[in-house]
Amino acid sequence: MRSAALIAGAAATALVAAGAITYAVAEDGGGSSNSPAPTADSADAGFARDMAVHHQQAVEMSYIVRDRTKNVEVRRLAYDIAQTQANQRGMLLGWLDLWGLPKVSADPPMTWMGMGDMASGKDGALMPGMATNTELKKLNTLSGKPAEVLFLQLMTDHHKGGIHMAEGCVEKCRVGVEKRLAQGMVDAQQSEIQLMADMLKARGAKARS
Amino acid sequence: MGSAKNTGTAARKARIEEMRRAEQSRERRTRIVKIAASAVVVAGLVVGGVAVVHAQSGKKDSSASDSKNSASGHFVAGSDGVNTWKGTLGRTHVTSTVNYPMHPPVGGNHNPVWLNCNGDVYTKSVKDENAVHALEHGAVWVTYNKKASAADVKALTTKVKSTPYSLMSPYDSQKDPIMLSAWGHQRTVKSASDPAVNSFFEKFVQGSQTPEPGAACTGGLSQ
Repeated sequence: MRSAALIAGAAATALVAAGAITYAVAEDGGGSSNSPAPTADSADAGFARDMAVHHQQAVEMSYIVRDRTKNVEVRRLAYDIAQTQANQRGMLLGWLDLWGLPKVSADPPMTWMGMGDMASGKDGALMPGMATNTELKKLNTLSGKPAEVLFLQLMTDHHKGGIHMAEGCVEKCRVGVEKRLAQGMVDAQQSEIQLMADMLKARGAKARS
Repeated sequence: MGSAKNTGTAARKARIEEMRRAEQSRERRTRIVKIAASAVVVAGLVVGGVAVVHAQSGKKDSSASDSKNSASGHFVAGSDGVNTWKGTLGRTHVTSTVNYPMHPPVGGNHNPVWLNCNGDVYTKSVKDENAVHALEHGAVWVTYNKKASAADVKALTTKVKSTPYSLMSPYDSQKDPIMLSAWGHQRTVKSASDPAVNSFFEKFVQGSQTPEPGAACTGGLSQ
């Protein structure tokens, strides 16, 4: 009788513990783990799609300037941007894969944040802050200081557009981990804009706008 | 006395030590033989397995087979209008010309340099071997022949230019005026405004068919 009571007590304790663990794990997802995966027209999906494209150009620009200058400071900044944004892009695309959503949309970019009419999309500048194909071609023809200055100017504009879009996700995204990544982009790119302003000044130049 | 006894003990110890060493080296030898034997068996299994797979893939379809296993098989029509390649599509990098069994090609061995596919629109025909590499990176390839209308070509140009991981080029020898291709998949569309264009893009631009997700559409060959 006594041992039966003991077993019952142990079983009850185990059940309570299991329940508590399940609850704690569920809570850890920021309350989002129980909600269904985002839909294609959500801010979560839209930001993942559009920022993946926006980031790709920053990666490309960084590779170009690393071929056009030997300046260690600019090459290191470009390395940092290329590595960071390529990784973040991978996260965004990976989430779309997990949610089973397309990587493209027939709607214009940034429709998810009510700004589908923001960018002209002309000459490859698909979203605010993005460089045109003509500007990228020009960067590819310059060397040394002129290349560094144009890169810093283009990347400053690129970051400004990126921050604006990331703020849209901070405001509208519902997936906790994505919101946090977006906030991280805002903070990091703001600090890089400051750094680039100093680097431009040291080269007797300044941001374009 | 004591010393003699000690000598005897030492000799015995030495003999035991020697026997132990002999035993150990015998065990080592046995172990080496066992390892070698299993390695041979495993290698045999692998070689045999590969040979079987090769023999089967070769057997599957020789009708549309290109030399050196680049691509063999046939299209299977889907109810959604998308043709899916059943068979094998090689992924070896080659600098030679490849004879693809379908036009435009949807896979197979290809050139080491990918064709840029970052919304790139080519107005002259491109090399199959470079374009196939772009498909491997997850791009959708829009192609048209001389029967396509100028309005459709213009509308598709706009679409491709605004879509990273897509590219477009004329393709005179294809059977229909406008065709869309991705790795292992292909379809014909009636016009640029055919809703099948958007659904093909949504499904296949960096879609789950991509053999190399995350690979670039920039930094390759541009015309």
